[in-house]
Amino acid sequence: MKTQPGKILRVHVSESDTYQGHPLFEAIVARCRELKIAGATVFRGVEGYGESAELHRAHLGRHDQPIVIVIVDTEDNLGRLVPKIEEMLDTGVLAISEVEMIRVQN
Amino acid sequence: MLTKGPAKKVTIFINEDAPHRMTSLHDALMTFLLHKNVAGATATRAFSGFGSHHALHTPRMEATSEHLPIRIEFIETAKRVDELLPTLYEMVTDGLIEVQDTVVVKLARPSTPPDPKLPHQRKVGPAKMLRIFLGEADKLQDEALYDAILKKLRLMDIAGATVYRGILGYGAKGHEHKQSFLHVSRDLPIMLSVIDTPEKIRAAAEVIEGMLEDGLLVISDVEMIRLVRS
Repeated sequence: MKTQPGKILRVHVSESDTYQGHPLFEAIVARCRELKIAGATVFRGVEGYGESAELHRAHLGRHDQPIVIVIVDTEDNLGRLVPKIEEMLDTGVLAISEVEMIRVQN
Repeated sequence: MLTKGPAKKVTIFINEDAPHRMTSLHDALMTFLLHKNVAGATATRAFSGFGSHHALHTPRMEATSEHLPIRIEFIETAKRVDELLPTLYEMVTDGLIEVQDTVVVKLARPSTPPDPKLPHQRKVGPAKMLRIFLGEADKLQDEALYDAILKKLRLMDIAGATVYRGILGYGAKGHEHKQSFLHVSRDLPIMLSVIDTPEKIRAAAEVIEGMLEDGLLVISDVEMIRLVRS
């Protein structure tokens, strides 16, 4: 089992956040692809609250649930990515922690 | 106390009508094992058989139908079997005792719901978190890969695992995982998150690595606060 040090970045935003007319989470994933980041996965939470202290939850016909984007890559690549995401974010949280990566590519 | 892992299996072959003091030998053996708190024992009556006397005992012949073979089996730890064997050796005056190595894979009791009055036990300490990224459409021998991984983790006695379905993503395969109305079969991103002690996470990561074709595993340090009722 070969492991290599890496970083995990979690970006917490809201489903209703937009960036230049597109949903913010889609724009962030697109930016990750542009920057050749290894991968990004978007999760939708059930309920949550953040900076605006208003509860994000599903309403009839209105989607405003919490969104988490999980990105794993090397420290260098995430270093390039974080400032770009910061530019796109109005409000939101970025959290980085250390991981050991085991890449499987048979 | 019998646990998962290596153990000994003892099989005793006797005749149904073999006597022991005032009762039958199979009754005496089962009572003895019960009193000795053996994890479990089963006595089965065979349909037909023969032993060292080379007389076939079958239910077809009335004369031999009372001498049908009985087989008593039990599984215990090697230490317990060593303690029990001298007495069993004395008791079986006509028959055969066999001991073989075995592996206990599952030892389950129907779980009783924990008593709500019991206080929460707080287990705090450093632990590892394993996240596995894969696709919903990934298969392992016609079974959803995340299902197969979850079952494997249960078999390995890992404390817990949760499967998350993402709504959008890309990764090792390079293609985008996105839900669309045009595609009936879904291939959304899946993430499993597993938390346990460092040794168990290491073992789990190694096993899961062998199950994945492509994908990503990441391990990080976490502080675990586990609340269990006990």
